[in-house]
Amino acid sequence: MATQPLDRELKKGSAELLILSLVESRPRHGYEISKLIEERSQGTLRFQVASLYPLLYRLEARGWIQGRWVEKTGQRRRRFYRLTPAGRKVLALQRRGWQQFAEAIRRITGIEYA
Amino acid sequence: MPDWKQIVRERLDGLKLDGAREIEIVDELAQHLEDRYDALRAAGIAESQAHNQILEELTGNGKLAEELRKIRRPPAIEPMGVPKQRGGLMSGFVSDLKIAFRNMHTKLSFSLMVVGMLTLGVGGNAAIFSIFNGLFLRPMPFADAEQLIDLDETAPKWNLKYVGVSNPDFFAWRKSNSTFDGMAVFAFGSLNLSDRGTAQRVLGGNVTYDLLPVLGLKPVIGRNFTSDEDKPGGAKVAMLGYDLWHRLYQGDRGVLGRVLQLDNESYTVIGVLPREAVLPDRVDVWTPLAADPDPKKSNGWYLSGVGRLKHGVSMEQASADLTRIHKAMIGEGQKVNEITSPVLTPLRERYLGDYRSVSRILLGGVAVVLLIACVNIAALMMVRGSSRAREIAIRTAIGASRSRIIRQLLTENLALALAGGILGVGLGSLCLRAMVALVPEGTLPSWIAFSMDARFAIFCVAITGAAALISGLLPAFQASRIDTRGSLQDSGVRSTLTRGRRLTLGSLVVCEIGLALMLSVGAGLLVQAFRKVLSVDPGYRPENVILFRVNLPDTTYKKPEQCIAFFENLVERMRAVPGVKSAAATSAPPMGGHWGNFWEAEGAKPLGPNDKNPVVLQVVATPGYFDALGMTFLAGRPFNDQESDAKFIHTAVVNETFAKYYWKNESAIGKRVRYQGSTGIWIQVVGVTRDEKHYGLDQEMKPSIFLPLHGLSRNSMAIVLRTTIEPQMLVAPARQILRQMDADLPMYDVRTMTERLSRSLWARRSYSWLFGAFAIVAVVLASAGIYGVISYAVSQRTQEIGIRMALGAQPGQVLRQTLAGGMLLVTIGVVIGFLGALGAVRLLQTLLFGVSPRDPLIFTAVIIGVAAVGLLANFVPARRAASIDPMRALHFE
Repeated sequence: MATQPLDRELKKGSAELLILSLVESRPRHGYEISKLIEERSQGTLRFQVASLYPLLYRLEARGWIQGRWVEKTGQRRRRFYRLTPAGRKVLALQRRGWQQFAEAIRRITGIEYA
Repeated sequence: MPDWKQIVRERLDGLKLDGAREIEIVDELAQHLEDRYDALRAAGIAESQAHNQILEELTGNGKLAEELRKIRRPPAIEPMGVPKQRGGLMSGFVSDLKIAFRNMHTKLSFSLMVVGMLTLGVGGNAAIFSIFNGLFLRPMPFADAEQLIDLDETAPKWNLKYVGVSNPDFFAWRKSNSTFDGMAVFAFGSLNLSDRGTAQRVLGGNVTYDLLPVLGLKPVIGRNFTSDEDKPGGAKVAMLGYDLWHRLYQGDRGVLGRVLQLDNESYTVIGVLPREAVLPDRVDVWTPLAADPDPKKSNGWYLSGVGRLKHGVSMEQASADLTRIHKAMIGEGQKVNEITSPVLTPLRERYLGDYRSVSRILLGGVAVVLLIACVNIAALMMVRGSSRAREIAIRTAIGASRSRIIRQLLTENLALALAGGILGVGLGSLCLRAMVALVPEGTLPSWIAFSMDARFAIFCVAITGAAALISGLLPAFQASRIDTRGSLQDSGVRSTLTRGRRLTLGSLVVCEIGLALMLSVGAGLLVQAFRKVLSVDPGYRPENVILFRVNLPDTTYKKPEQCIAFFENLVERMRAVPGVKSAAATSAPPMGGHWGNFWEAEGAKPLGPNDKNPVVLQVVATPGYFDALGMTFLAGRPFNDQESDAKFIHTAVVNETFAKYYWKNESAIGKRVRYQGSTGIWIQVVGVTRDEKHYGLDQEMKPSIFLPLHGLSRNSMAIVLRTTIEPQMLVAPARQILRQMDADLPMYDVRTMTERLSRSLWARRSYSWLFGAFAIVAVVLASAGIYGVISYAVSQRTQEIGIRMALGAQPGQVLRQTLAGGMLLVTIGVVIGFLGALGAVRLLQTLLFGVSPRDPLIFTAVIIGVAAVGLLANFVPARRAASIDPMRALHFE
C-alpha cells in the first residue's frame, strides 16, 4: 500500500497524541511504537527513526513520558517508555481537542465515518 | 549484519552530546535499526537494499541531527541520597521519606513481608498491653486510690487466707487506730427490690456510714447516711446506685423521699450514689450496716473492710497498729483473736493480684514475639542491604556521607515500622476485642475497662520506634561500610559473603531460634498444665445438669419450716417435669460459694494450741443432691429425710478429704461428729463421697460435710436438675412452676454445670492458648528467618557451588554441606534456647498445676519440633543449591 502524503503540520500535531495513546496502556519501546502506528493505521501513517526518537526525547523532556532501560533474561536490553501522570493529563486534553476538531471537520465537510 | 552502532555513532558525531547520553542514544537507535533490518529481510528484501533503505530512514534528510540538537533530556538517574539544596534537617527528612516510599514501592513484596511481621508483633503487644494497662496501670476511680487499703483477717490455723472481718474487731480497729484517716466495712448480698408493682433481684450492700467519705466520694443528689442511721434500730434508709437510678427512675431527681420495698421491708431513698461508687462492686442499692458494736454480739467474720491510710504511714506501720489493737482484745474476752490477725493489702492488689503474674508473663511472651520479628527483619534488611550494595556505593560515590546513608536507611525502616505500627494497632484492637469477649461477665471488677488511652498510645509509639531501631540499626551500619569501588567494579553479584556479615546473619538466626524455643517450651508447659486441669476428675458428672438459684425473703418466709417445705415442694414439682431425670436443692453447688464451720469427731483428742483446725465446707442439700449432681459414693449411702427433723440432724455425708483428715485410714461410716465446742447431739456419718471439686478443678479441696435440708433450713438454695434432654429447654418450665408457687420470686444465676466449669477455667484457658499462639507465631517467624538467610546465602554462592560442581562435587555432597551449615545455626540456637528455657520456666512455676517446669517430655517434644521446622526451612534452599546447573551458574559472569 502506498503511503498517502499527509499535511506536515497536521501530522506533527497528531504525532504526540499517537505516542501518548500508545504508551497509555503499558510501557513500550521505540520500535514497538513505530510498528504499532504503522500496523494500526494500515500503513497510512509511518514514523521513521529520524522523526520518532527526537519526538520521544522531547516528550520525555517535557515530563509526559518516562524512559527506562529494562533487561529481560534472554533478550537485549531495551528502553521502555511509560506515561507519567502529567502525560496522562495532557493526553486527556489532546484527545478532547482532537474529537472537537474532527467533529468540526465533519460538520463542515459532511464526511461521515463508516 | 552491519554494525549499526558504528553507523549511528557516525551520524551523531557532530552533535557534541555528552558521553553517557550519547551511549544511550546510540544503543537505543542501533537497537531500532537492527529490528527494522530483521523485519525488512524477513519480508524478502535483499541485504543491500534493506541496508540502504534504513540509512535513508535514519538520517531523514538530516532531520535526525537537526531534531536531536534541539532537545535536552533530564539526567536519567537522580543523585538519590543528596538533598538538592541545603535545607534544614526537615527537608532532608522529607527527601529521605520520599526515597523510602519509592523503595518500599519498588520492593513491594519485601516491604509487605516486613510490614506483616511488624503488624503481628505490634498487634500482639498492643492487645496484651491494653489488658495489663486496664488491670494494673489505669487508676481506680477514687481520689488518692493508692492510699486505700483492703482490710481483712487471716487465720492460717483454720486453713484460711482470708476469713473476713468480724463486727467487734472492726469497731475496735476504727476506734483505736492512729494510722488511718478513716475505715469502713461492708457486706453484700442479693435481695428482692419491689417498687411500682415490679419485683427484681438486685445486689444490695450493707455499709457503714463512713464508706462513702473513705472512698473520697459524695452523693450525686441527696445525702449520705448519718452515724445514727448506722446503729441497730436506726432509720430504714437507702441510697440508690447510679445505674439503678437511671434504669428504674430515668435519673429522676424526685426519687428522693420515695419508699421502696427491699426484701419486703420499707426503705426511704435519701440519696443517689455516684457512678464511681464501685465498692462493693456491682451493687445497686446501699443500706446502713447498723451492726452492733457490742463485742459479745459478734455475727462472725462477714464483713469486708477498706481503710484510707494517713499520708506518710507505711503498710507495715498500719499493720502493726491494727495487730496491736487486735491482740489486745484477747485480754478482753475475744479469745478467738489468738487465731485471727488483721491482714492488709493494697486495694487493687486484693482484687486483681491473681492476674498480675499472668499478665506480666503474657506481656513478656508477646514482647519476645516482637523481638523475634525485629531480629527477623534485621536479617532480611541485611540480606537486602547486600543486594543494594551497588546503589549505596553509587550514592557514596556521588558524595553522600556515611551518616547520610545511615539516616536514609533508618528512615526507610521508620517508614516500614510506621506502616507496621498503624496496622498493628488495628490488629491489636481487634484481638483485644476478641479477648475481652472471652472474659465471662462478672469475673472482673466492673471498674475495669480495656479501652485505649494515652498510656496505650505512648506504648504503641514507643514499641514501634524501638522496633524500627532494633531492626534497622545493625543493617544500616553494615550497609554504610560498603566498599565503594569493590561494589561498583563487581557485576553487582558478589560471589561470597564477607566473614563478618555471615557471622552477624548467623547470630541473628541463632537468636531467633533460641527465643522461639524458649517461648515454645513455656507454651508447651502451660498447655500441658491446662490439659492436666481438664483431666482432673471433678467428682461429679457435669454434663446435662442445669442450676438456678431461688432466694426466699425472710419477711415472708419467717419460719424455718416454711423454707424447708417450699424447697422440698419445689424439688418435688420439678422432678415431675418431663425431661427431668432427677432434681435436688443445695445451699452451695460446685463453684457456688463457701459456708464454713468447725467440726469435731467423737473421741478425738482436744486440740492443742498449735494444732491446725481446718474450716469445713458445709453444704445443705436434699437427699437427691448426690444423684442429681452425679457424685460417687466411696462408702455408705446418702442421708434420707426420715433421719432428720426440724429440730435435730441425725445423719450426714462427708467427703473423702474430711474422712481422711479425721479418721486417717479407718472407715468413716458409723463415726459421729458435731460442731466444735457444741454440746448438741452427735451426728452419724452414713456416707463418704469422692471429693467434689468445689472451688474449681485447679483448686485445693477442703474437708466438707453434707447436711440434710430437712433438718437445717436455708432461705437461699440452688436447684439442680439432671436432664434427659437439652438442659436449657427446662428453664421455661422451671420458671413457670416457680411463678405458680410464688409470683414474687425471681429465679437467677441460671447456668448449666458445664458452663460453670468452663467459666471457672476462663483465665487459665485464655492465657494457655494465648501463649500457645505466641509460640506458633514465634516459630513461624523464626523459620521464615532461617529460610530467608539460607536462601540468600545459597543465591550468593551460586557461582562458587557451580565451580565446585564443575570440578566434580556431587549434588548430594552440596546438599549435605548446605544443610550442615544451616543446621549448625539451628543446633546452636536450640542449645541456647534450651539453657534459657531452663532458667525462664521458673517464672511459670505457679501456673503449672503440678506439671514439672522441667518436664522432660515437653522439652524433648519442643526441641524436636523446633529442630524439625529448622530442618525443613533449611532443606528447601539446600535442595536448590544441590540442583544448581554448573553451566548456567558460571554463565552469570
